[in-house]
Amino acid sequence: MKAFAALFLLAAAQSAPDFRDIAKEAGLTASFPNGGEKTKEYIIETTGSGVAFIDYDNDGYPDIFVLSGDGGTNRMYHNDRNGRFTDVTASLGLTSSGWAEGVCAGDYDNDGYTDLFVTYWGRNRLYRNLGGQRFEDVTAKAGLTQDRVRYNTGCAFLDYDGDRHLDLFVANYLKFDFATTPKAGSNPYCFYRGMAVNCGPRGLPFETNLLYHNKGDGTFEDVSVKSGIAKANGHYSLAVLAQDVNDDGRPDIYVVGDQTAATLFINQGDGTFTEEAVMRGVAFDENGRELSGMGLASADYDGDGRLDIFRSDFSDERSLLYRNTGDGQFDDVTMAAGLARNTRFVNWGCAFLDFENSGWKGLVVVNGHVFPEVDRQNIDIHSRDHATLYRNTGKGTFEDISGEAGPAFAARHSARGLATADIDNDGTLEILANNQNEPPSLWKQSRPAAGHWLLLRLVGTRSNRSAIGARVAVTAGGRTQIDEVRSGGSYLSQNDLRLHFGLGAATRADSISVRWPSGAKTVVKDVDAGRVVTITEKGV
Amino acid sequence: MNADERGSKRVAYLRLSAFICGSFLASLLAAFPLLAADSPTEQGVAAFQQGRYLEASRLLEDALRADPRDEPARTFLALARAATGHCGDAVADLADRFQKSPDPLLARLAGLALAQCFIAQEQTAKALPIAAQLEARYPGDADVLYLSARVHMRAFNDATRRMFASTPASYRVNQLSAEIFETQNKFAEAAAEYRKAIEKNPRAIDLHFRLGRAILLESHSPEALAKAQTEFEAELALNAGDAAAEFQIGQIHNACGRPDEALRHFRKALDLSPDFPEAALAVGRMRVQAKQYAEAIPLLERVVGMQPANEPAHYSLMMAYRNSGQLEKARREQQVLEKLQRPPEGEFTDFLKRLGEKAPTQ
Repeated sequence: MKAFAALFLLAAAQSAPDFRDIAKEAGLTASFPNGGEKTKEYIIETTGSGVAFIDYDNDGYPDIFVLSGDGGTNRMYHNDRNGRFTDVTASLGLTSSGWAEGVCAGDYDNDGYTDLFVTYWGRNRLYRNLGGQRFEDVTAKAGLTQDRVRYNTGCAFLDYDGDRHLDLFVANYLKFDFATTPKAGSNPYCFYRGMAVNCGPRGLPFETNLLYHNKGDGTFEDVSVKSGIAKANGHYSLAVLAQDVNDDGRPDIYVVGDQTAATLFINQGDGTFTEEAVMRGVAFDENGRELSGMGLASADYDGDGRLDIFRSDFSDERSLLYRNTGDGQFDDVTMAAGLARNTRFVNWGCAFLDFENSGWKGLVVVNGHVFPEVDRQNIDIHSRDHATLYRNTGKGTFEDISGEAGPAFAARHSARGLATADIDNDGTLEILANNQNEPPSLWKQSRPAAGHWLLLRLVGTRSNRSAIGARVAVTAGGRTQIDEVRSGGSYLSQNDLRLHFGLGAATRADSISVRWPSGAKTVVKDVDAGRVVTITEKGV
Repeated sequence: MNADERGSKRVAYLRLSAFICGSFLASLLAAFPLLAADSPTEQGVAAFQQGRYLEASRLLEDALRADPRDEPARTFLALARAATGHCGDAVADLADRFQKSPDPLLARLAGLALAQCFIAQEQTAKALPIAAQLEARYPGDADVLYLSARVHMRAFNDATRRMFASTPASYRVNQLSAEIFETQNKFAEAAAEYRKAIEKNPRAIDLHFRLGRAILLESHSPEALAKAQTEFEAELALNAGDAAAEFQIGQIHNACGRPDEALRHFRKALDLSPDFPEAALAVGRMRVQAKQYAEAIPLLERVVGMQPANEPAHYSLMMAYRNSGQLEKARREQQVLEKLQRPPEGEFTDFLKRLGEKAPTQ
């Protein structure tokens, strides 16, 4: 009987998933403005915005936060646990205006409630979560007010100095001002395929990234220069991935940029970072060419115990898969992994996710062009395009199954941010995407994923409360899978902080091992599958 | 000569005067500042500078009658005649001044006008060597380069017109049409013309290769890869020694995640053409991925030897050194790469720098 069940699971795992957009039924009907639809005059209209899954009220169900461009407000939707979400923006004090770009989550004050940081072209906002009842804008109080208008993009909380207090990294795209930015067609960098389009990023002034140290008293200090982060100039930074890249127990920071080399800041353990992207193999594509990096995702796609990196890029470029070969060195394996065939999309939000609970993480990427004018060309690059879903074959390769993955993957949007979470705790992950000038998409499979699963919620005590930076290894069915709790990521977005593991035919995990940011280790044995498990770090 | 031809000739002469006047005025003014014009030569040059070409011709003819050895008068008379469409009267003097004038400025002006006259007279074959001489004598001169581009464009247009008129049914007409479409980024139209050419001459070399390439450039769809592969294979069936077709097939296999097949074709391309840098780079890169550094590194070193400015080759060599533990060599390659990646200095770079320095209002 057991053998039969295993066979059934394997067979089911091979049939394509059927993703449907349930946003409307779920109550996500508000549209989120983000610049022009037919034409975009300025680059600011092209880059927004992110989304987040965050359980702000600790009820065990991820809520939804969607960012808006100018002319709308960011919105928080409470998960009503019945397939519907209620807009609670106003009651939580989150009504906003301006060009919101990115979002990242973390309990920066260790009070047990997840806080939010929202980046803007303009003034960033740190929202302190007041017991899940309300958010307070504490930006000024926390010392995060900026001395000038900045084009802030991706962000991530991370505890880079291991003091239990979450620090904050903020990527910056470029210097932008409506008054001084050249008009479409006014220099050679304001053309695309012969059409005059909005200018940039090339030709616009660079801006440097920011690192804020959390002083532990509710305030932050700008340590961008002191830490070495500001040394790296000449990058149009967008997405951020904060994780331990070289497996030394300290979080590093990887940032992809538009039309410029990516940067990898390796944490030296003394409050400073060194930029090492080129030699570590994650600055360029295999030709040593600077691409337009948009989004980032990380997973151990090949099961070798190391976290690899996927970056989404522009049309006529390849999105890249960098395989971690150990010690934080990477090889571009895009071709060998079968990810080189789609080059017509401008890729944005992306995530590794085990949508079949097979134990192998697939990959989802949302798309949409920065120049709506491209539709006038009647070519196979479109302003709005469908998303891409790749199945992980478990043999180091991926196959594009977008065409058979349900109507959600046929719908065309100009999407940007993407995040994943299990909104109903049934073990099957959902996908949320921010579509420019449309309501967001919320994709759910019409039938549960076939394999078994575990959802892990980690609570730090000696480490930061959100356990950001905790490395987890789950052993089940003869395999060990790893992952890390991350703030930020994807394209200017935030996945659920809980970690999801598909277990395939295994009905239990033999062990779950957690390496906490504090250095402490927790091992839990024999955990039944099919449930949400909370693991709390042992106190002092 | 029909009305259209007469019209176009008239336009050519009118443009000739505009060209001479517009392009050369700055240098003319620099060489012959407008002074009080006492002699007929000075008055003639002044009239020329002010665009009164007929008056200039008359004054300069007077000057030459008075002194047949007056070189500026002879040169400007020829220029004035050219500007008024009297190239027939001007060509001999322009040719003489272009070859013999000791004043490089006057020689340059004469050469430019001479080439223009030949274009206007539809004697492109005579204009071509003048343009070549001008380029050799005045390298980096924008007026000279512009004229040279015009002459070559005219030569191309003339040859194309002759071909379309005398052999309209030839597959070469379709091939050339396709190549023109390619330069205009109209790859679907190019592919259609290549198909017509293949239909007319199924055994012609290079058509399938070019069709395959147009298909790849036309579409981003994964299906296009298979279609293009068919064409490259058809090219190989006609010409088994086509290293470029072998290479393209290798690229397609690589993009489709079939590394073993890709490597086989890359190797074949390299066997067929041992100095094919792209093929050597592709084999080298794949051997790096397979950790076969002893084979990969010499290949990549050979590519950077052949093409010292080949950025992909330097990057691949850097990765090969890194992965094989030769960190010092890897760092050296990184430095070379950084140097190569620096944007070139030039007019446009300066323009962008200025733009970059102008920080937006904060």
